[in-house]
Amino acid sequence: MIVSAIGKPDRAQHLPDPAAAADAQASSGPAPTSGLPKESGPGGRRTETGAGSFFLAVLRNKPSFAFGYFIVALVCLIAIFAPWIVPYDPMNADPSQYLLSPRWSHPLGTDSTGMDIFSRVLYAPRIDLTIALIGTLISASFGSFLGAITGFYEGGRTWRKFSSALVMRSADVLQAFPVFVFAIALVAVFGQGISSVIAAIAFVNAPIYLRLMRSQVLSIRKMRYVEAAYVSGASDLGIIMRHVIPNAIPAVLSQLSVNIGWSVLLTAGLSFVGAGVVAPLPEWGSMISMGYQNIVTGQWWPSIFPGLALGLTVFGFSLVGGSIEILADPARRRVLAGTVK
Amino acid sequence: MTFIRYILRRLLYVAPQLFGIILISFMMVKLIPGDPVVMMLGPVASQESIEALRESMGFNKTLLQQFAIYFGNVLHGDFGTSWQTTRPVVEDLVVRFPATLELVTLGLLLAMLIGVPFGVLAARHKSGPIRRFTDYYGLVAGAIPDFWLALVFVYVFYTIFHIVPTPLGRVDMSLLTPPVVTGSYIIDSILIGDFEVLGSTLGHLVLPVLTLGLINAGPILKVTQSTMERVLTSDFIQYAELSGLSPRTVLRQAVRNSLPSIVTIISVLYGFLIGGAVLVEIVFSWGGAGQYAVQGVLNNDINPVLGFVVFSAVLCLFIYLVVDLICFTIDPRMRA
Amino acid sequence: MTARTIAGEFGSDGMIRVEASGKEGHLASESTRDGRNSKSVALSAFAGEVSTEQAKTPLISIKDLTVGFPSYGKTTKRAVNGVSLDIPRGEVVGLVGESGSGKSTLARAMMGMVPPPGIVEGGIVSLDGLDLSTLNEKQMRAIRGRDLSMMVPNPRSELNPLLTVGRQISNVAHEHLGISRKQAEAKAMEMLRSVRISDAERRFNAYPHELSGGMAQRVIIAIALICSPRFIISDDATSGLDVTVQAQVLELMSTLVRDRGASMLFITRDIGIAAHFCNRVAVMYAGEIVEIADTQSFFERPAHPYSVMLLSAFLHNPALRAKWTKKADDLSGAAPLSGGCPFRFRCVRARERCAVEHPKLSRFRPRHDVRCHFPVGTPS
Repeated sequence: MIVSAIGKPDRAQHLPDPAAAADAQASSGPAPTSGLPKESGPGGRRTETGAGSFFLAVLRNKPSFAFGYFIVALVCLIAIFAPWIVPYDPMNADPSQYLLSPRWSHPLGTDSTGMDIFSRVLYAPRIDLTIALIGTLISASFGSFLGAITGFYEGGRTWRKFSSALVMRSADVLQAFPVFVFAIALVAVFGQGISSVIAAIAFVNAPIYLRLMRSQVLSIRKMRYVEAAYVSGASDLGIIMRHVIPNAIPAVLSQLSVNIGWSVLLTAGLSFVGAGVVAPLPEWGSMISMGYQNIVTGQWWPSIFPGLALGLTVFGFSLVGGSIEILADPARRRVLAGTVK
Repeated sequence: MTFIRYILRRLLYVAPQLFGIILISFMMVKLIPGDPVVMMLGPVASQESIEALRESMGFNKTLLQQFAIYFGNVLHGDFGTSWQTTRPVVEDLVVRFPATLELVTLGLLLAMLIGVPFGVLAARHKSGPIRRFTDYYGLVAGAIPDFWLALVFVYVFYTIFHIVPTPLGRVDMSLLTPPVVTGSYIIDSILIGDFEVLGSTLGHLVLPVLTLGLINAGPILKVTQSTMERVLTSDFIQYAELSGLSPRTVLRQAVRNSLPSIVTIISVLYGFLIGGAVLVEIVFSWGGAGQYAVQGVLNNDINPVLGFVVFSAVLCLFIYLVVDLICFTIDPRMRA
Repeated sequence: MTARTIAGEFGSDGMIRVEASGKEGHLASESTRDGRNSKSVALSAFAGEVSTEQAKTPLISIKDLTVGFPSYGKTTKRAVNGVSLDIPRGEVVGLVGESGSGKSTLARAMMGMVPPPGIVEGGIVSLDGLDLSTLNEKQMRAIRGRDLSMMVPNPRSELNPLLTVGRQISNVAHEHLGISRKQAEAKAMEMLRSVRISDAERRFNAYPHELSGGMAQRVIIAIALICSPRFIISDDATSGLDVTVQAQVLELMSTLVRDRGASMLFITRDIGIAAHFCNRVAVMYAGEIVEIADTQSFFERPAHPYSVMLLSAFLHNPALRAKWTKKADDLSGAAPLSGGCPFRFRCVRARERCAVEHPKLSRFRPRHDVRCHFPVGTPS
């Protein structure tokens, strides 16, 4: 059931018959052509069963989804407002206060250089999320674009076919690299720092989107209605805009959300090894690394709390990604709708 | 398409891929800023010694020449020497790779034992406590950083409860490592009947294997679950149900049809973990191959990095080949 | 093997002439719109005789079956809306309707396998007096495939691509008949021959993707019949096949069903096929049976405007088609619960009464019921 979700006018607005309003309510069911029911559009009054209230009902019925969105929203807010909320300067090392266990003045304790862990944990999303978001977006756009092109020109005329094959083989080789070592090498090449980490993330993730988009394009190309569009004279670009992109968006979106979570993990891993964000910048991975030696001697808080925050954040993003996957697929959305009241 | 022809065709693809991998790694490491010679000799080295070393290491030749030399050496099995360990890379890797492989293999085994059954369960129970548990397990396992979990385990089982040995290396430092036959301490110690070493090895393996297993069970569970769900709603399974076949029979068919995907994800994880287990290796000072490569990158020691990349790429390609062969056996459609 | 054909016309003299021919015989009938001066040549050897004795104890009895599909924010769509149908032993009932009329849902509901999110909201399905809703899943499974089986379209996607077809057929026998694997395989081989698959020994070990559409469909038939069920549902089982293959498969189906004395519900979108070997024909629209009659009576005097519309679509007469088909917006699947007849939007004979009062299934002729206020042939 392929749907052009974008730009599909609401059915109810076309029935001229006034009695049809009641019919519109009743004319329900697994109609394959309904995309996400649109919010009240210009002049429309369908708020009763609009996308917004459906979404809220889903959240009410599926607490796990709600939890995910809550976490993501919370983390984003913290990232934005951290400078105003933190009790201490996250990079102010006060050696006299080192390795204090959690207490009222330092809710999460202090690390071996005396920096307050609570402030640093709250500050870290600014860096982690920025890196993950930018890196993932770059890889998604770049990868998707390349993927769409190669998918489109697959099996075409010679030079296009050759270049698409070249891109695919390069992607194969790139993906054959051990991911982590590759990321570290990239960071080493570009020099340590935030932009290098972003570049590493973009590189490592691009093949994923490339393959995703390419397989979407290939499968859509095979559909008859695309042939029909060609026959009726639509241009390549037109087909991409009208058919390919709308149908690929749900898959890309849910992949994006999960990817952001994973990129945060990768950033943390890189920092843990010493190839990512440099201390004393607050970043969850490097905080864990700093507290690593203390674990054995019993001071668990410098490492454990950042890890918890990290895990929770990635968890939230995964939940969101999972919910997008279900909401964006019309068949699964219907099944969901049947269980929601 | 027979077995043999299939294998040959696949091998044909492998050669250019390997070449590309070696080329790219070489270029990348060469791009890393910093002068390795200076790093090797230290800050007080004289200009002459730097020049001499540079000349002897061949850094004055063009990149292309250096690559040609390197590639020629590789074909002879010479991967150069690591200036950090002062030993040939091949020797280092021969010790370190088995360490990583032992860890990763056991870890993935555990991950399979957890992930596959739970994935099947999850696909069959659309709701209820089991499903909730597996949903959350998949999400949590994918969210927790593995090195952090390793630290938690160290803290709980070592610092608090003292039930595992000191998390340093593969075996107790006071014991002699068994003579190398396969490189796996478990196998080698059994071979010579040294059960003390065996016990120590197993004790040291518990935490890292637990870490890797629990975390990687996540993706295995999810893939198993989603594949099973897809198969269970497929036309032919519906038809099998329509014909009144027992749930056990239907399930067996469903699992069999899901096998190619499950085997694929396991192989992907395996390939990933060869380099990706490095974080856990670091926590436990495991002395594995990934750690070796990471140190190489951070210290501008090029040969270990290249050696590791080539070895792991070959290993990955080999694994993918095996997996493809398995799928070839299971799925008759691939033989057409 | 002659292909079955139907041709007919509504003459300007006000006569309806319908001809249907198939292997079993030929039906030609002629009648005026109001039923006077009708003559018809009965189909000979048409679809087996059913004794009145057997007709008394229905093998399958469906009463008031309703299946709904709930959806958020919308009223539940009733895919099957109060359907009642009795099928005696040995009878073949054809069920005709367009996509979305509820035929497949009805079939699945009879097998106890309504796809989610659908649920059975009411009604009873009985097999030989046994109320199927009282059975638990395990008991139902015992019945499925053994006493009650189904044939489905798109055979190659309905067969497990990883197993040989012989294995798949024998699995069903092994499961239901309590025989050993070896015996089941022998039976499966025998079945492969009964469905006239050439080179049965070799095909036994073939995989579904190696078979053509027609052969795969025969495998499905083999699976459906191997336990000699009392009742078989064919859900559009011949669609998607080439016409000649379709003809062969139909002939095969009718022979096998007759030989076993089984009853059948033959679901199709093609009204022409229904004439082939059905004792009775039922027409379904918007989840309801709108007409049900003996085949002869149906083709002689189709009563519901929808039936006539369907028939006219198959006749080679554009003017007739134009006369009975009303242009309308996309309304399939709409089940307005606001009362009235669901067909009124497409009906050329609709009146005010149709918008208000929901018609009931009522007797039109002997063994011929219709659900319409103004059936064809009566003054409107």
